[in-house]
Amino acid sequence: MTPATKPDLRVRIGSLELRNPVLVASGIIGYGREYERLVNLGAIGGIVTKTVTLRPRAGNPPPRVVETAAGMLNSIGIENPGLEGYHAVKVPILRDLPCARIVSVEGEDVAEFCELVRGVDASGVADAIEVNISCPNVGPHGMRYSTDAGNARDVMTAIRPLTRLPLIAKLTPNVTRIAEIAEACADHGADAVSLVNTFVGMAVDSRTRKPILGTVLGGLSGPAIKPLALAKVWEVVQAVDIPVVGMGGIAKPADALEFLLAGCVAVEIGTAMFADPGLPESCVAGIADYVRGMREHSVDAVIGAMIVPEGRGVIRAGKAQRENARATRAASGGSS
Amino acid sequence: MNQVDCTIIENRELTRGNFLLTLRVPRQFSKPQPGQFVHLRLSTDGEPLLRRPYSLEGFFERGRIRAIRIYYSVVGRGSRILSMHPKGRELDLIGPLGVGFQISRKKKTSLLVAGGRGVAPLLFLARRLRERKRPHVFLFGAKSKYELYGYRDVRGGRLHLATDDGSVGYHGSVLDLLQREWEEAGHTPDTAEIFTCGPHGLLHAVADFARDRGVRCEASLEGPMACGVGACRGCPIPLRPEHDGAGYPAMCVEGPVYDATAVDWERLP
Repeated sequence: MTPATKPDLRVRIGSLELRNPVLVASGIIGYGREYERLVNLGAIGGIVTKTVTLRPRAGNPPPRVVETAAGMLNSIGIENPGLEGYHAVKVPILRDLPCARIVSVEGEDVAEFCELVRGVDASGVADAIEVNISCPNVGPHGMRYSTDAGNARDVMTAIRPLTRLPLIAKLTPNVTRIAEIAEACADHGADAVSLVNTFVGMAVDSRTRKPILGTVLGGLSGPAIKPLALAKVWEVVQAVDIPVVGMGGIAKPADALEFLLAGCVAVEIGTAMFADPGLPESCVAGIADYVRGMREHSVDAVIGAMIVPEGRGVIRAGKAQRENARATRAASGGSS
Repeated sequence: MNQVDCTIIENRELTRGNFLLTLRVPRQFSKPQPGQFVHLRLSTDGEPLLRRPYSLEGFFERGRIRAIRIYYSVVGRGSRILSMHPKGRELDLIGPLGVGFQISRKKKTSLLVAGGRGVAPLLFLARRLRERKRPHVFLFGAKSKYELYGYRDVRGGRLHLATDDGSVGYHGSVLDLLQREWEEAGHTPDTAEIFTCGPHGLLHAVADFARDRGVRCEASLEGPMACGVGACRGCPIPLRPEHDGAGYPAMCVEGPVYDATAVDWERLP
């Protein structure tokens, strides 16, 4: 092929085909309209909407954001118009977007998740649903379903029969073994997992002796978390066979490539976009250049192409290996 | 609103730690209203990570050249980096953003109450009022004479200064000036309206003054912002219970200028 050839950047998340692997993360771009003059949505893979909850939410008291070293703490609290408002106000906006529309939902319990998945499916404008089981800013229920494998299973099992849209479970990094949560999602109907949501963090104003955020605790994002996010992604990539969507601190095209090389089929751009609205588009260009530089035709050649010395960097035995071990034990009559 | 590249024409320290920044903006930058702001990217190396919102002190057009002016004080990482940028340096800017001051259609006297660097958008407004031949009174208070700047531009309206240390003008708060002006000139809610910007403590007091008298009063608020365009919902304006609807207005799109009497100042840091 000649270097001028446009590489094929298409990737799949379940039945959804994206024109390229670059998405905008939930909570960054609203429902697409706010940034329409600043971002060329026609050039990127898609957007994940601000999370929709069943009832409208006013969000948390101020201050809700504070910049920290190479990062940002937020405690927005999913300010959104609720499912009714989504239908009335946001669906017409989403209908006209020139990219994939992944609608994010968050329920306070399994029943709410079910109602939201049904509602978003019926709205007819979603290309996939991101199941936000990892918000640190809405009280105890926010992370309940992604800090316990049993809870993750319950919510996925309940919502899976309600839609044919791809379901992407968004995971929190605030756990000891994120692979266990990812496996529970994969085993119970998730088409993909996306990670990481923010790390729980806080900041204190030493002059006033008060916490800076109105809610004391918040979620940390931005370049500060990228190495942490990559380690979580790497752990999950080794554990599940479904697509992994990576995010956390991507601030330049090379960062996006790190996630793809570690095994992500797509990436989500977050905080750094506030400074650089053109970042998603430059990531698309950077990935295309990289594919060309490898003298390859498709982004598939990049995904999971990290060169790891045999046996190094294994956080936990892969799923296939463990199933193999289980089968061996069963065959030998051992109990497990 | 657009994302444009602008060039630093001047970045001058007026008094210790207080700067006047003049930026040349391209034609795509639409004409701003007093009270609107721009979201400046102070560096491209990720430090600081977020843009910083700056209220406009003015917009100037001479021939083909368009420029905006900003007052800022060195208070943190972002403003320190900005203070080191030399003339000629290019900066990426999104703007103009937010809603500015709304001058009543009915001809009223505007009372402009400025505290410290909060003077910036009010200087812009004063110029607009002068263009429209609207009567206005400019009340400007600061800690000391070193924090009093820009007011020499105020022409066409009465000007009263106050400093906490008495180094210039009235020795005391600009709030006393407002009180005195109100009584001595015999203003009424029918004949006057208030525009204010400064520390939130001052704005709180001015808002109480206005609510007690039933006067229309708009305040320009300041706070941390992430996106600046209403998407992230990171800059909520808390409202008093009687104005509280379903949610918080966003400072970046429904503000930064807001009805001061509706704001719940106790909940705004």
